[in-house]
Amino acid sequence: MDRRQFIRAAGLGAASVGCSCEPAFAEGESASTLTNVVWDKAPCRYCGTGCGVEVAVRDNRVVAVRGDENSPVNRGLLCAKGYHLPSMLYGKDRLTHPLRRDASGTLTRISWDEALDLIAQHFGEALSAHGPESVAVYGSGQWTIFDGYAALKWVKAGMRSNNIDPNARLCMASAVMGFVTQFQSDEPMGCYDDLDIGHDFFLWGNNMAEMHPVLFSRILENKRRNPHVNIVDIATRWTPTSDFADMFVQIRPGSDLALANGILHELVQTGQVDHAFLRENVVFRRGIEDAETIGYGCFGDQAERYTFKDQPRDSSFEELQEFLKDYSPERVSDITGVSAAQIRVLARMYGNRQRNTVSLWCMGVNQHVRGTWMNNLITDLHLITGKISRPGNNPFSLTGQPSACGTAREVGTLSNRLPADMVVMKEEHRRKAEEIWKVPPGTINPKPGYHAVDMFRALQRGDVKTMWIQVTNPWVTLPNLSRFERRPGDGRFVVVSDIYPTPTTEVADLVLPSAAWVEREGLFGNSERRTHHWNKMIDPPGEAKEDAWQIMQVARRMGMDHLFPWADQDDWHERMYEEYRRFTIGTGKDLAGYEQLRATRGLRWPVVKGKETRYRYAAGHDPYVKKKSGVHFYKAKGYGEKAAIWLRPWHPPAEVPDDEYPFWLSTGRILEHWHTGSMTRRVPELHQAAPAAWVEINRADAQELNVQNGDAVRLVSRRGEIVLEARIDDRGRPPRRSLFVPFFDESRLVNLLTLDAMDNISKEPDFKKCAVRVEKV
Amino acid sequence: MRPFSLRSMTAGLIALLTATVLIGCRRTEQPTAQKPAGAAVRATRRAYAGAPPVIPHGPLKASCVTCHTESGDQIAGLGFAPANPHIGTRYAGATQNCRQCHLFRNSDALFAESSFSGLRHEERRGSRAGPGAPPRIPHQKLMRENCRACHTGPSARPEIRCTHPERTNCRQCHLFETTSELWTAAVPGSP
Repeated sequence: MDRRQFIRAAGLGAASVGCSCEPAFAEGESASTLTNVVWDKAPCRYCGTGCGVEVAVRDNRVVAVRGDENSPVNRGLLCAKGYHLPSMLYGKDRLTHPLRRDASGTLTRISWDEALDLIAQHFGEALSAHGPESVAVYGSGQWTIFDGYAALKWVKAGMRSNNIDPNARLCMASAVMGFVTQFQSDEPMGCYDDLDIGHDFFLWGNNMAEMHPVLFSRILENKRRNPHVNIVDIATRWTPTSDFADMFVQIRPGSDLALANGILHELVQTGQVDHAFLRENVVFRRGIEDAETIGYGCFGDQAERYTFKDQPRDSSFEELQEFLKDYSPERVSDITGVSAAQIRVLARMYGNRQRNTVSLWCMGVNQHVRGTWMNNLITDLHLITGKISRPGNNPFSLTGQPSACGTAREVGTLSNRLPADMVVMKEEHRRKAEEIWKVPPGTINPKPGYHAVDMFRALQRGDVKTMWIQVTNPWVTLPNLSRFERRPGDGRFVVVSDIYPTPTTEVADLVLPSAAWVEREGLFGNSERRTHHWNKMIDPPGEAKEDAWQIMQVARRMGMDHLFPWADQDDWHERMYEEYRRFTIGTGKDLAGYEQLRATRGLRWPVVKGKETRYRYAAGHDPYVKKKSGVHFYKAKGYGEKAAIWLRPWHPPAEVPDDEYPFWLSTGRILEHWHTGSMTRRVPELHQAAPAAWVEINRADAQELNVQNGDAVRLVSRRGEIVLEARIDDRGRPPRRSLFVPFFDESRLVNLLTLDAMDNISKEPDFKKCAVRVEKV
Repeated sequence: MRPFSLRSMTAGLIALLTATVLIGCRRTEQPTAQKPAGAAVRATRRAYAGAPPVIPHGPLKASCVTCHTESGDQIAGLGFAPANPHIGTRYAGATQNCRQCHLFRNSDALFAESSFSGLRHEERRGSRAGPGAPPRIPHQKLMRENCRACHTGPSARPEIRCTHPERTNCRQCHLFETTSELWTAAVPGSP
């Protein structure tokens, strides 16, 4: 009898039974109130917050959820998306059988055997005819750790390719490279506890009230208890977050690097620098700074393949002082539109040693042509003031997907990475992976593969012949979408695994039905390094199968059984995890054992001797730090186990408004819908709250264009056009000559307008800045 | 606290019905003389028992708590705004962003048909230890610490209206049942 059967059997006897974790009943629940319902714990399916939910199952169907009061993340509270998780599973158009596109272009049902054979055949043919550069897997920060690990191993150890990249490249890559360039190890040192004990919260381009509402609510609770808590909203438009802010700092799009350098300038000028901390813990670095040399990844030759590589060198505090002379508050004020006085106030707040300082950011900073640099500068502010790796004092990067950290970043499902901070370019890293994977030395290809945008450019050119896309919807999310228009039957072979039809399944040659969320056993890792396990609670519909299973079956058909020797065993999840866990032990990224993960609401790594770590690099918290007090950046071997302050200049965005295209356009998410809406739009309550995308426009601009609230307007960029409803003074209020459009709506594709400019180091596209004009329809 | 009158009850019922008709909820069932309208209306606003209700009116360009106060408020021309049930919640500050959980219903359309069938609200009385004993609380709490929001005032459904709203510390007498099991004594009694 497996665990699920046991729970079911127990559920028949008792009216209600709790999950394996204490307590069996939430307060207010009783055996008599909820009949024949079995509750079990899981992380939410959507964002990177990783809220704990309890899922109610009756008759093999999810009938309710509630916020998990025992989850340290959300303490019983969810958001509108989380509360409406159950109906996400039950859209009547769920994909339930493998579908192959026939010659006439229609999808017809085939068996799993046929589908898996077909995939193995296409990948095999591409490999033998064109080599490992011609195959690609485009995955997801929504992959469970199992899915990502199976894909990584199949691609890197099986096909000897590095063409595996996740949609997290569009989302988190700049944060990864920020942490890697400064600490030589990815992911934050702080955790959500900082939200309860911080004093000054700086939100850099981050509409937290909508995108991370549960975490924002923790700040609001902190503020209720401690009225002196400040929320500083540094933003390009007024959002629901601004409604709660103590200070609103409106900046021009793309000027954030100037502002951060302006604050650094003030800190240095006014002596608010923690020199003792710098001497002990910090080195200075700088790289290529010439805008011409770097480019934007979307013009000229770079529009086909963008492989800019930085050439870092040592720098010094004296050089930093010299460098910052360009960023006096007055000059920064000219660039950013923020008054010099306000810049000085921000510097005083960052410099105040009596107060705890937390910086938070997400897509505003990451989806940025200089996103890695901006990540560096935010962390610089904390390093120069010594406000880092201390409770209540940290830079903290928020993630948008449930396992962007756990899977994409920790498993390392990126074109250059391996698990636990390792990279394919380093021989010792390849050797370690080959040893754990029991494959011959030299198996792993040392040349990084395509990053996401180049992967799709290569598919378009025909350099990539066969691609498998799982748990993501690139034909909605890629920038400059018209570049990637595709018709099946163009000589390439595209497989898409998903749970619902999307614009991406529309262009697929083969569509596979996947099991979703609690229809399979899973593990996600959230923004604060918390690895969270859940059990399979219900059966998937029809013949839907989990993504990891799909990959292992194809690998087997390609003669790669040796990679997944336990694939047929009942406990393959645990066996796969324990193999993966070996990468992490002893590295400072140690993951907890499987049984412990099953029994808890997730644990924050490094987990050593069963104990989680709240603050990395901090004495008294991180078991790898042997010092009695202070911090030790022990992962940064290349910097003498110190952190790096980077000197990073401000560069203008790739495209700026002009006479022909006079408006800035920014894109993003909204509270009701998660990313492309393929799940949340199938939830009646969420769809009915936000049925279609709109454009937020400033009232004065609307008057000038003779546009009323609710009128249809056409947005035109150099790349495409779409028609949307205009909203004036709605939830978001952009300043003059600035627009915002959410990207969830597949019938109003804002990415037809965006530009495929990207960050020079992370190769993450900039979805936040391009130029458009507005026409009344 | 005002005593309840038939008038205020009727007014509350009419306000609820009017609101429902005005908003035009998709799944509204017509109330009948036998079935209290409140329970039916309640179900139309929740995806399942325990889900946060959707907002049954359009945006009013005001902060929610202006009308949804601790006791609720009669708003001229609009009706009775039920009380905020989250006042007194352990992390009350975390419930300030109302629209984090409560959605407007701006459309009746569906993106795709759904076969979801959620947990239904089970109406029952709380069990009593004996005649005259205070009933136990027969439902989940779900961050609703302010019992008065549902159990007193014009928006309280008649069948769950409290007879003694002047006593404000409800859980002094009314207990949550958090386990179905009985205590097992560590020291066994004599056989």
